[in-house]
Amino acid sequence: MALQLNRRYVQYFFEPVAESFEEGFWEAVKRRELVFQRCGKCREWMHPPRPMCYKCKSFDLRWEKSTGKGKIYSYVTFTREVNPLYVVPFEVVLVEMDDEKPVRMIANMLDTTPEELYIGMPVELDFYDVSEKHTIPIFKKRKA
Amino acid sequence: MAHPKDTLRNKACIVGIGSTEFTRNAGRSEIHLAVDAAMGACADAGIQSEEIDGCVRFGSAGAAPVEFATESDVARCLGIPNLRYFVEAPWGGGACCATIMHAAAAVTLGLAKYVLCFRAIRAASGTVRYGRPTTIPMDSHWSMTMPYGFQSPTSWVAMFTKRWMYETGATREQLGAVAIVSRENAVRNPRAMFYGRPLTMEEYLSSGMMCDPFTLHDTCLENDGSVALIVTSADRAKDLKQKPAYITGVGEGTGWDSYCMTSFYRPEIGIPEMEETGKDLFAMADMKPSDIQVAQLYDAFTSLVPMQLEALGFVKKGEGGAFCEGGDRIRPTGQLPINTAGGMLSEAYIHGMNGIAEGVRQIRGTATTQIKGAERVLVTGGLGVPTSALILTKGK
Repeated sequence: MALQLNRRYVQYFFEPVAESFEEGFWEAVKRRELVFQRCGKCREWMHPPRPMCYKCKSFDLRWEKSTGKGKIYSYVTFTREVNPLYVVPFEVVLVEMDDEKPVRMIANMLDTTPEELYIGMPVELDFYDVSEKHTIPIFKKRKA
Repeated sequence: MAHPKDTLRNKACIVGIGSTEFTRNAGRSEIHLAVDAAMGACADAGIQSEEIDGCVRFGSAGAAPVEFATESDVARCLGIPNLRYFVEAPWGGGACCATIMHAAAAVTLGLAKYVLCFRAIRAASGTVRYGRPTTIPMDSHWSMTMPYGFQSPTSWVAMFTKRWMYETGATREQLGAVAIVSRENAVRNPRAMFYGRPLTMEEYLSSGMMCDPFTLHDTCLENDGSVALIVTSADRAKDLKQKPAYITGVGEGTGWDSYCMTSFYRPEIGIPEMEETGKDLFAMADMKPSDIQVAQLYDAFTSLVPMQLEALGFVKKGEGGAFCEGGDRIRPTGQLPINTAGGMLSEAYIHGMNGIAEGVRQIRGTATTQIKGAERVLVTGGLGVPTSALILTKGK
């Protein structure tokens, strides 16, 4: 039933950690922006981040803003509790971004039931506050 | 350039296999389990433990250690005067056949005479429970999955299984056939955790979902135990107690854009690591998939069996599910019998080392579900991580 947290267990939230070349992703999320790495030289999009463009070997990697639109590439539904912070059932989606191909990212859904999900479903970006300290990107249904 | 087909094929053999009991609570440490299995392997091979001078153990999965018994711990307990060769094979179950690759290379190059390969695990009673989030290593790339509650191996494999089912039309009944055939084999194997306890399709289908599309019966066991193997050169193997299992093909592979169990950013999510490994493996062995008579396919999850059949070229892409349907093609009398001891779904979860031991038993002719005339056996390593695979034969 979309993402629902039992905040009694907020200490079980996995606080993101970042290598130097990954920090920009989480700094942007704090500003409620979704950014991905993009090569300044060959313009390839990359995610998860890395220190060097794997294609043209340039170190000129920049953070560029995503339009936040994508389609569900695959998904799972947790029906058995693994971490008490996350109330089951909830969905985890692998979203392929429309405007930053070939980027895919993992996130949750804000407003769906597991039965509603399907591969190819159009989704759009939102943000979800886990606590006063932590925010995560999340997706919701996109109207065609 | 030298090719392993010329430099390594049939140059080394597995000459000893040893194992502890498989249990929910072994009541002793990983070091103790490793020593028990190693002594069993020495007795099986007919060598003294002091003759071992090389060791390959499981390494890490990223920042997380996998094996808690080190080569020094084991050598100290076995009375080994000096290990002159030791190395770690990383990535959990992906490492199993890689231990044999390192050992075969070492004995062939003369770096060691007898190499011990082992895994000792307390996945049921120990501090590291692979099914639980507390075991997760803290490499930064996990930050792209863990904050979303995406925190179990079952869910990570479910993610690429879901996509594979969508692309190929594979069904839950086809996955169920894998679980049932593995269980049938375990029912005949007194060592197996599920010895004497069959599984029906009705039970499989009515079992509660863990993480769609996986139920409890799609996921491997959590247990304690250890398996040890001894590798030596083909020349030395001829004078030992057992019929040698020749290392005819062996290989490792990461595939493109590999992460620990969360490789979701590749052009096609799935198990390309096994496609790459398979190419090298069959090239070294100078064989094709149809030459294989029995396979021990890494089955931490049911879907990995049909996916490997596709990745290794036993069937065309998209036909793995149909191959498993009903189970007859993968039963002992079928076209490709699999996981004859019960696999990790039903024998025990020793990170694939029990699959290698079963491969050796098939070559020796001593398996509890023996495939008649088995001379060419495939064994594979864990998927969704950098992996490895092995072809064992009776030699020329």
